[in-house]
This record gives sequence, C-alpha cells and structure tokens, in this order.
Amino acid sequence: MGKKSQKQKIVLPPELPPEIAEDEIEVSDEDLQFVKQNSDYAVGFSRLDTQSITKHVTRVADVKEDALEALYEKRLKKKTLQKEKEESGVRVDPVDALPVKTLDGKLYYRTLEKKSRLSGIGVEETGEDDKDDGGATGVVKLTKAERRAKLKKQKKETKKLGKELDKAEELQQTPQAAVLAEVKEDLTAEEAFESKKQKLAELGMALLEDPESNIKSLKEMLQISKDNDHAIVKLGVLSLLAVFKDIIPGYRIRLPTEKELEMKVSKAVKKTRFYESTLLSTYKAYLQKLIVLENKPSFQHVAIRCMCSLLDAVPHFNFRGSLLVAVVRNIGSSDDVVRKLCCATIKSLFTNEGKHGGEATVEAVRLIAGLVKAQNCQLHPDSIEVFLFLSFDDDLRRPEKTNEVNRVKSKKNRKRKNLEEPSQLPDRKKSRQELMTKMREEVTADYKAVTFTPDAMEKRRMQSETLSAVFETYFRILKHSVQPYAASHEEIASPVSGASAAHPLLAPCLKGLGKFSHLIDLDFMGDLMNFLRKLASGGSNLGNSSQKDFNSFTVSERLQCCIVAFKVMRSNLDALNVDLQDFFVQLYNLILEYKPGRDQGGVLAEALKMMLCDDRQHDMQKAAAFVKRLATFSLCFGSAESMSALVTLRHLLQKNIKCRNLLENDAGGGSVSGTIAKYQPYASDPNLSGALASVLWELNLLFKHYHSAVSAMASSISSISTANNQVYLSTLTPQQAFLDLSLEGESFNPSDSLKLKSKRKRGSGSSGSATSEPTPDTGSIDEDEVRKKLSAHFMLLRDIKENERLRGELDRTTLYLRLYEKYKTQKKKGRTKSK
Amino acid sequence: MGKLGKKARKFAKKNLQSVLKRKRKLKSTFKKRASKKDEHDAAEDEGDALELSNGRNPEGGDMEDTSLDAIFGEDDGDLSGDDSESDGYLSEDSSCTYAENGREDYLEDSSNGSALKVQNREIHLDLAKKTKKLLRLKEKDLEFAKFLESYENDLRPFRNKEIYSDEDETTNEGMQSNEGKVLTISAIQCWSRLVKEQHSLPALTSLVNAYRAACHYGSKSTSVSDADSCYRIQNTETFCQILMFMLREGDNMFRGQLGISSSNCRKETISTLKNSPKWKALRPLIKSYLRSCLFLLNQVTEHEILAFSIAHLRASVIYFAAFPPLLHRLIKIAVHLWATGGGTLSSHSFLIIKDLASVFSSSCFDTCLVKTYKAFIGHCQFMDSGLLKHIQYLRKSLVELCSHDVQKSSSKAMICIKQLAKILQQGLRTKQKEALTKICSWQYTNCIDLWVMFIAENMRDYDLQPLLYVVVQMINGVALLFPGPRYLPLRIKCIQWLNSLSSSSGIFIPVASLVLDVLEYTVGKESGKHGKAFTFSSAVKLPKYWLKSQNFQEACVSSTIELLSVHFSQWSYHISFPEVATIPLIHLRKFHEITTIEKFRRMVKRFIDQVEQNREFVQKKRDEVAFSPKDQQSVELFLQLEKHNGNSPFTQYYRSIISNAASRNLFGMER
Repeated sequence: MGKKSQKQKIVLPPELPPEIAEDEIEVSDEDLQFVKQNSDYAVGFSRLDTQSITKHVTRVADVKEDALEALYEKRLKKKTLQKEKEESGVRVDPVDALPVKTLDGKLYYRTLEKKSRLSGIGVEETGEDDKDDGGATGVVKLTKAERRAKLKKQKKETKKLGKELDKAEELQQTPQAAVLAEVKEDLTAEEAFESKKQKLAELGMALLEDPESNIKSLKEMLQISKDNDHAIVKLGVLSLLAVFKDIIPGYRIRLPTEKELEMKVSKAVKKTRFYESTLLSTYKAYLQKLIVLENKPSFQHVAIRCMCSLLDAVPHFNFRGSLLVAVVRNIGSSDDVVRKLCCATIKSLFTNEGKHGGEATVEAVRLIAGLVKAQNCQLHPDSIEVFLFLSFDDDLRRPEKTNEVNRVKSKKNRKRKNLEEPSQLPDRKKSRQELMTKMREEVTADYKAVTFTPDAMEKRRMQSETLSAVFETYFRILKHSVQPYAASHEEIASPVSGASAAHPLLAPCLKGLGKFSHLIDLDFMGDLMNFLRKLASGGSNLGNSSQKDFNSFTVSERLQCCIVAFKVMRSNLDALNVDLQDFFVQLYNLILEYKPGRDQGGVLAEALKMMLCDDRQHDMQKAAAFVKRLATFSLCFGSAESMSALVTLRHLLQKNIKCRNLLENDAGGGSVSGTIAKYQPYASDPNLSGALASVLWELNLLFKHYHSAVSAMASSISSISTANNQVYLSTLTPQQAFLDLSLEGESFNPSDSLKLKSKRKRGSGSSGSATSEPTPDTGSIDEDEVRKKLSAHFMLLRDIKENERLRGELDRTTLYLRLYEKYKTQKKKGRTKSK
Repeated sequence: MGKLGKKARKFAKKNLQSVLKRKRKLKSTFKKRASKKDEHDAAEDEGDALELSNGRNPEGGDMEDTSLDAIFGEDDGDLSGDDSESDGYLSEDSSCTYAENGREDYLEDSSNGSALKVQNREIHLDLAKKTKKLLRLKEKDLEFAKFLESYENDLRPFRNKEIYSDEDETTNEGMQSNEGKVLTISAIQCWSRLVKEQHSLPALTSLVNAYRAACHYGSKSTSVSDADSCYRIQNTETFCQILMFMLREGDNMFRGQLGISSSNCRKETISTLKNSPKWKALRPLIKSYLRSCLFLLNQVTEHEILAFSIAHLRASVIYFAAFPPLLHRLIKIAVHLWATGGGTLSSHSFLIIKDLASVFSSSCFDTCLVKTYKAFIGHCQFMDSGLLKHIQYLRKSLVELCSHDVQKSSSKAMICIKQLAKILQQGLRTKQKEALTKICSWQYTNCIDLWVMFIAENMRDYDLQPLLYVVVQMINGVALLFPGPRYLPLRIKCIQWLNSLSSSSGIFIPVASLVLDVLEYTVGKESGKHGKAFTFSSAVKLPKYWLKSQNFQEACVSSTIELLSVHFSQWSYHISFPEVATIPLIHLRKFHEITTIEKFRRMVKRFIDQVEQNREFVQKKRDEVAFSPKDQQSVELFLQLEKHNGNSPFTQYYRSIISNAASRNLFGMER
C-alpha cells in the first residue's frame, strides 16, 4: 500500500505525515479513482524508495522559503528527466522490454518506432504541463507552486533511483540484448538529433508566444545548445538569438538592489522581477557562451553572426559592452565574412544612433581607436572605413557651445541667486525648497536614465568624445605612415603579409579626414598639414631616401593627401595661414607619375577639381604652367583622363585671362612671359617652368583625337578668345568628365553616325582588286601529280570495293558450307527416322 | 593512297582495322594528317563546350551567347534538302555507247602491293578454296544442290528489299539499266573527240554520265546499284582520264554548246539563256556535272586533287546561278576547304569564294562573309608558330573579301565588333574569371586583329569613323583589363593595333601611357638568368617563370622603344611633336637613371638622343612660324615638305628600329 502513502504525502503539504501503519490508512474512493485514472504516475511511483523520499522531502521543506528560485532553475533540468521517467513508466513491461540507458541518460526501448512516436507525444504533454504549471498555479496560488516544486523534486529522486535500478538491470541483461542495444544506439543518434531539434523549435515557439510564462524555457534552450553535436549547438545558438531578439524589452534591465529585494512587493512586481532576472541571467550566460564559441574556429561565423545581430537589434540592452568588445575585436579580421558582418554592424550602430542614444557610438569608436593602437596601424582598411559613417551634428556643435556657456552662466546666476535668496528665507522654507529641488533633480535623473533622449549637453559630450577618439586614430595612422619606414618595416612585413599596401589604413584615414575636415581642431591643424605635406611628397623628405621608400606611397595616396590638405583649408575658411604651394608642386609632378591602370583616375580628377578648379587665388605663372602641363598630359593618356584634364584646362583659361596668351603664337613671347623667357618642360616647379612663353600647340593634335568628345573639347578651348572675358563657366567638373568617358562605363555604341557612315563615301569602290594577292594560276598545279593521286585514289577505292565484294562472297560460301553440314545431319536424322 | 574518302573511311573503320593499323605504321604522312584532323575536331568540340558553358551562366543571359562563334545564328539548315534531288544518270543514245565486254582481272594493274591488296588476295584465295569445296559438294550431293538453290531463292527477295529500303534516292533511277557497261579509255577518247569536233550532245551526255560514275566511284551505297550499274570503270587510266578531262574541259564544252565566251562570267548571261532551247537541253547535263563535282569535292581528301578540281570548277561558277541549292553547297564546301586546307588549296578555295561573292547577288556575298567569318573564328582558337601563317593568310583573305563590298561588310563588322565589345564590357564590369579568359584568348585577339586590319585597309577610302571609335575604345579596354606583366604580349598587340589604326587613318590615338606601362614592368625586378627562348607571337599570356628572366626585361625595353618609334614617327613632323614626346622622355630618362644594365642604358640613351633631336628640330621650325594654333590650315601645312623628303637622321632612325622589329618578329616566328 505504498502507493497510497505517497499519494497522501503529495496532498499534504509540507511536513511528513506522521508514521502510520499501513493498515490504518483509510483510502477514500476518490483516491482510488484518481490513482486509477492516473495510472501513468502511479506506475512510476511504485518503485519509490520511501526512505529516501522522505529524507528529501523534509530537506526541501526546510529550504523551500529561500531557495524557491533555485528550485525553479533546477526544475528546468528536471523536466527533461522527469518526462523520460514518465515515459518509462508507461513503457516498462517487466516481462520482456527492459529499457536501455545510454551514456547521456536517455532511455531506449526495443520497440523503436513506438518509442519515437510516443516521445513526441510526451514532449507535447510536458509542454502543456509546463504551461499549466507556470500559468495557472504560479499565479493563482504560490503554495500550490511550491507543492509542484516539491513534486518535481520527488520525481527527480525517483528518477535517480530508477537509473540505479536500470543500471543494475542492465548488468543482468543477456549478451543478446547488449548487441541489440548497440545497434539501437547507432540508429537513435539521428533520432536524438531530430528530437532535440524539434524540442528547440517548440521551446522557441512557446517563448515567442508567451515569453512571460515560458521564460524558464530559455535556460533549457541554453542547456540544449551546450550539446556535443555541432549542428545542435549552432541551431540552439541561432534559435536563442531569434528568441532574444524578440523578447528583449526596449529598456535596460536594472536588477533590484538587496534593499529593494527586502521590501515587500506585489505579486505582479515579483513576477516581473523574476522574469527580468531570468532573462538577464540567461542572456548573460548566452553571451558568455557566444564569446567562448567565437574562439572556436568551427563556430566563429555563427557566434559572430549572433553577436552582430544582437548588437544591431538591441544595442540599448545590458551587456552591450561585452558585445561591442567582441565585435570590434573582429572588425579587422582577415576572414572576409566576419569582417563584413562586423563592419556592417558597426555602421548600423553609427547610423542608427536613435536606438541607443549614441553611447554605443562612443564606446565603439573608443574601442576601434584602442584596436588601432594595439595593432600598430596594421589592420584591414575596412576597420577604419566605418568611421566614414559617423554623423556629427553640426548644429549641435557650434551653437551649443554658446548655449552651454549661457547655461553655465545662468546656472551660476541661479546658484548665486539661490545662494542669495535662501539666506533671506527662513530655514524651514529653505530646507523644504532644497528637498523639492532635490526631488526634482532625482526625478529628472531617473527620467533621463529611462528615456533614450539624452539632452543636448550629454549629446555634445558624447560627440566630442567620439570626435577626439576618431581624430586620435587618424593622427596615429598619419604619424605611423610618416615614421621612418625602415624602422617599422621589418615588424610589419611578418604579421600583415596579406595587406595590399604598406599602409593599409592610410587611404580610409585620408578619406575620413577629408570628410570631417570641418571638425578638426585648429590646434592640430599645423601638425596635420606637416604630415600631409610629408606624405604628399612621397616620403622623400624622410631621413632615408632609398628607392623602395620612395615608392612606398602610391600616387593615389599622395594625391589624396593634397586633396585632404585643400579640403581642410577650405572647410576652415582658409583661416590658417599655411602655404599650400608645396602641394601644387606635388600635383604638378604627380600628374606625370599617374598610371591609368594602377592609380585611380577618379582621385586625379578630384585633385584637379579641388586644387585647380576651385582654388580662388591663382598665380598667373602657376596657372599657365598647369595649363601647359595638362595639355601635354592629355596627349599621352586615355580619353577619360584627357577629358578631365581638358575640362580643368578650360576652367583655368576661363578664369585667367592672361593665360589665354598661350592660345596665341605671340612672337617673342610677349610682355607677359615673365622672368623666364623660355618654356622648360622638364622643370619640376610650376613657377619656374616659364610656361607663359609657350604656345598650346597640343590642341592641334587633339583636334585629331579619335574620341569625338576630346576633339570637340579641344576646339572649344581653342576658340576661347583672348579679348573678351567670358562669364560663362561650364558646370562640367573634371570628375564628371572622367566618369563620362571612363571605359568601365563605356557602352561601346558609336553614338552618332552609324548610318551616315556608308553614305559619306569618299572613294568609289575602286579598292576591290588593288589589294588582291598574286592569283595562283590553275596551271600551278602539277597535273601529273594530280593524275598520280587520282590513280592512287582510284586504286584505293577499287580495292575497298573489291574487298567488300570478296568478303560478301566469302561469307556466302562459308554459309553454304555450314548449311551443308546442317543439311547432312538433318538428312541423317531423317534417314534414321525413316528406317 | 594515303587519304581516303568519307565513305571509304567508314568502310575502313568497319572492316579494315588491322590493315589500317599496319598502314599507319608504314605511312607516317597519313598519321600526321589524321592527328591534325583529330586536333581540329577537338578544337571544335572545345568550341562547342565553350558555347555550352556560356549558355549556362544565368546572369549573363543574352550577354553570353556572345561566345564568338554564335554570331549570325545558324543558317545551314536549308542545305540538307537538296541532296536527295535526283541528279543522276542521264539516259543516253545507244548509238554512242561504246560498249566493250571483257572483264579484266582487277589484279592486272596492281603494280604496288598495298596492305589492302594483300588482304584482298588472301580473301580471294580463301574464297577460291571454299567455292571449290562447295562445288565439289554440290556435285557429290545433288540433293544438297537443290536444297541450296531453293534456299537461295528464298533469300533473294529479302535481300533485295533490304537494298531498296536503304537507297531511297536511287531506287527510281538506278535499276533501269541494270546491265553494266564497262568504261574504257578508248570510249572516253572517242566521246571527247566527238564532243570537241562535232559538239555532239549525246557524246557529252555519255561523258557526263561517265564523269558521274567516276565521281561516285567507290562511294558505298549509291555506287553498288547505281553508278556501277551504268558504267563500270575499267582501270586507273580511265578513271584519271575521265576526271581530268571533264574537270579541264567540262566548262569549255558547256560554253561551246551554249555559245558563251570563256571570258564571260556574269550571272546575267545565264538568266538570259534560261528560256532558250539550248539551255533546256543542257540544263540536266550541267546540273549533273556540277553535282558530280561537288560530290567529288566532298569525297576526296587529297589536297592536290581538291585544289585541282576546285581550281577548274572556278571557271564554271556562273552555272551555279541556275541552281541555288548547289550554290549553297559550293559555298559551304569552299569555305570549309579554305579554312582547313593549306597553301594552294586554301587560296583556290578563296578565289572561288571571292568569285562567288562578286558574281552573285548581295545575299550571296552576305552568306560568304558570314560563313567565312564563322570558319575563321572556328579556326583561330589555338595558335602555334605553324598555324600562325595559315591564320594570317585566313585573316588577310577575309579582309580582302570584306573590302569587296565595304558598305555591307562594315555593317557586319559593326555587329561583330559590338559583340566583342559586349564580352569586354562584361569583363570590365564583373571581372569574372570566365569572361577574362574569354577575352584573353586567341579567338578574341584574332577577331580584333581582323577588324583592325579591315579598318586600317579601308579607312582611307571610306568613312569608318564609328567603327574605328568602337574598336579603339575596345582595345583600350582590353589593355586596361590586363595590366600585369604577364600580359605583355597582349599589351604589345594592343599598342600595335592602335598604332596601325592611327597611321592608316591619320587620327591621333594616344598610346604613350600604355607603352610606358610596359617599361615599368622591368623596374624593381632583379634581373635573373637568361630565360628560355620564347616566341612572343604565339602567346597572349606569358608563363610565370619567364617574368624573372632577362629576356623578359629585354623584350620590355625593346618593345617600348619600337612601339614608341612607330608612334613618334607618325607625328615626327607634326607641330606638337615636342609635347607628344615630353612625358615619354621624362619617363625614359628616369628609367635610364635607374637601370643598371648597360645594354638597356645604351638602347634607351640612343633613343632619347634621337627623339631629342627631333624635338629640337620641330621646336626650331615652330618658333619661326607666325600662325597660331587656331589656324588649322597652316598647321596642316607645317613641315609637310620635310615630311615628304623625310631624310632627317631621326626619321632614318625610326625606320631602322621599325624594320629591325619587323625582321626580328619574322625571325621569332621562324624560330
């Protein structure tokens, strides 16, 4: 009658029932009925060791008050076991089917098909049970929940017992069963995978349906994702990602302090607290798991993908810092997929600042700066390029400054007032007022903490921090590039052999400087210009000047330096008194070093635009030198480059009236020729070239250019008259001209006169016979030779024919001979028969 | 006996495996030929594969059938029909038949015992033995003889049926004269005399029939019951005689009958004749003759025979006007022979193609052009020094054909060039490996080469500016797409094309930057040991190991100088020459400073000096003039006189460099 006693125990909370002799127990009809109906449970209980259960129940009873949560946690683990236990209860047929237990604690049965089917049902059932537990009992009656917890505990124990039993039984099994079990193990590996997958899906669905009540399943999922099977781990991690992305709230969870925990709160609050704490702890565990996985090569992609999408989706949530660290760490990864993911995430962080109020931006930028520092500027260019997606609010920056000053002033004023006023007020009032202000401040602080709209000051602070980190990085890179190359060469060569250039970060750095040139602090300007100058000169000014170092900067990079220098100057309204002459000299020479395939033509065009078209102050000598050089340049290079050069040239001519003298062959060079009477094409300084003395004869050859656009441009340039000052300035920029004519965009359609062509014939069709080669005469073929060949051909053909014929005949005769044999035997037979 | 006809070959494959093997051992020439054929087949297969793989690319879509061969679609479909048209045997007057009985043993004129003959003899002996045995048996056992007879009777109708079903085209005509007439040399001589002296039509008919029999001789299915049944060719001499005579004199005889002068080859003459009774009488004869000729061309693989017959057939080209299906077949055959044959055969075939293109209507020109272009594409996928000459010939002749009607061919050229450009565009945009390999191939370069030659040839007389523009852009694109030193040969080709286009059209095409890139390849490379000799002309891409050798550097420097020389020599008397030379000179000076190899220094220095001299010369002359750049007419006249005299030292220098380069290339080719 042990069954009954256990039943009693369950019903009666929490103390053990007094020891009663079994006989004395009265069994009500209801009880009997219940047992009958729930025979599933009952069978399970039949094996219980009353002793140990009693022990445990008492222990649970002792701790139950404080360890409620712990119990809940444990329950998750229990559930799986319990379920199996239940099943075992169902399935065990003591006669023939003893369950086989695998190492991971699963029970398998000989009747495999049934098992798998039933296990599916079992999962569903337990899922429902869970819901019932969490939903109904949890809310309605705490005590009931406790009871349930206890029940689970019990079951766990029974389970343990059951295991022991199983083991014992297993030992006794026949060898035949052992072999069978082995086979089954193999078979069930796949099934286990399937069932785990299914379970993941179900748990995930349940969580998405009702996160509040199913929050505990998170742990279970986490547990599953610690599986040994790689595929399961990946699945688990990814489904957790989906769940978290969905259920993470739009605010940051603050765990209650101990004080708060002690306070009495309503059930709803408790529930929420429980929910939040579970969520947070699982999330933390999940992140830790991810970070561990990230270091394993086989899981790296999955882990990174999870972290990136988490960071992208919930940048406001707790533990953002660790996510950021992990993502930034991989931003310069040599793995393309990983790097792209990380960069995209950081970009989206930068562009969608509303999601996190800008704090993540600051952190990310700082982290990247740290990374650049740690890696000694040897990173993939992508990692710096993300800075280009930063957006700085200009309105916030400048006007706010004054605002801030104002506010500070006003604060001071107020303070002063406050200081003054209260002295006049009575103490009581003063203290009350203080209290009120304090309250107000507290409230506003809380409000701020909750909302994600930090006030302008906060924003400005963050922005300035971001800016300083960005520029710190940029300057670090510049400095590193300018450093005597040889010193750092050895150490660079080994670690980053894959990097394309010696200065992988220089190009994006220059781009960034160009973009944020208006934000650069004036104090840095001088240094910046010095760096740029050094870089633009191709590092030739740096201590060692061997050939290799000279080539260490590409033409594009050097042009970019010039462009940045001009951008910086321009965006700071030319406030600085820096001589840009050097950059012009550089450009003048760089034009010659340009190579179409190697260097980016777009950069050259941009440089022409920035430095020549947009520059306001022009030295006539210099302008003339550039005019001449550009004309010469366009004689040597492809149409796109030529075109951008010619557009610039026209621009220069239109702006500088005196340069138009170049279009005229003024005998003796004219009065404007300046100090240098003769043009020096090889001079490296535009001011010393004496270009004013030259004539733009290039145009004559450009008229004949194969590209109609170029020749049209040449003629339009030559038609600029010396006399009147044309106001019209074409809007075509060199960049646009370059893009229009570049081969990548070439459609290879002759735009104009495809159909006109054949009509505008110049010559008649006279060319027909003129080109023909000496016609080979028919007599050139040796007829004897032909005759010989013909006869050979004939012989061959005839032989073949003859061969064919002979074969046919041969076949026929042999056939007849064979027939004769047959005939003879037949006849013999006939004869014997007739006889 | 080296090469076999199509059907003969089929037969050989079936029955003569061992013999063939032996023969191959004996005759190396045959082997060579066969292997060449195989190679060609393989090439075609590959082409197909290329096309296939192109088709698979989903994103490329229609871009992809850009595979070069796919151009102009398929238009061969209509040609198969005319084969079954009855051509055959013409009924003849018995008065002229010169029949002669007596069947000589075929072994009579077997002077040289070939393998086949040996085998035949063996079989013959075997046969003789067995027949003897059979006869003996028959004698011995009369019953068996009877049985055999009945058996044979049973068998015969069945066998005959078999034959009929096989030969649908011959049933209607072949069986009418089942008794074989043996053709002898004297008969032929007699007929030819009759035709020549009396213009006897019946004799001509007999001749044509005999010719037909000769052409079809040995070809399997038709010959058994058809050709053989009307004439049996007696021996080699007869065979040769009839073929040679008909090929040589056929045209004349027909012309004589029709009364057309031998120099007249306008197709209108045929169309005017169409209704005359004479034509009606001769039409079947002519048709039979032409068909037989085409059949012969299809059958024979011997170069000499082919060349001979095609050369003589050329005279009769006008008759094809009356038989368009035959015309198409002729074009097909001629193009095939032009592309695959070599030497005289190619040139004779090409002459026929050219005649066809000029004599017949414009649509014929189109088909000729398209067919030849396709054949050209099909045959220029691979290159070695041996093939180079042939491909050059093909290109040259194709250009000649195109030049025949520039208007038409330029529109075709536009289509082809656009197709090439499409491929390039794809390469430029996607940089996919597939597209790149397609561009960096012989097929592609040969196509560009062809059109560049075409434009250069006709630029003076016609306005091909749009074509020129597209081609130049395309070449620039190719040069841009393959910048590395490994593509030096391709780069050099590109620049050569640009130079030749520029010099033929008088249009300015800047090449300096492309050339200077080549110079750059050498900089920074440690000069290694002398590499193996390598023929530039038969490669588009260099092997990697070659890049480090000194040969490579030398090739770079010398080709830089050569290419620049061509460029400069074109503009050496132009008023803006000093500016043209400025940037190249700066770069060359730099190279001169850097390089450590004395040989290069010397070469470059000499070049710099000469160019400087040229520069000075123009500069000095230029300083004297009074006109401005705007005055274009005066600019055009500037230094024209000197240019025509053209004996200044730098001009001579350029010339010597260019001719050296040309001879060196020739030499390289031979190597």
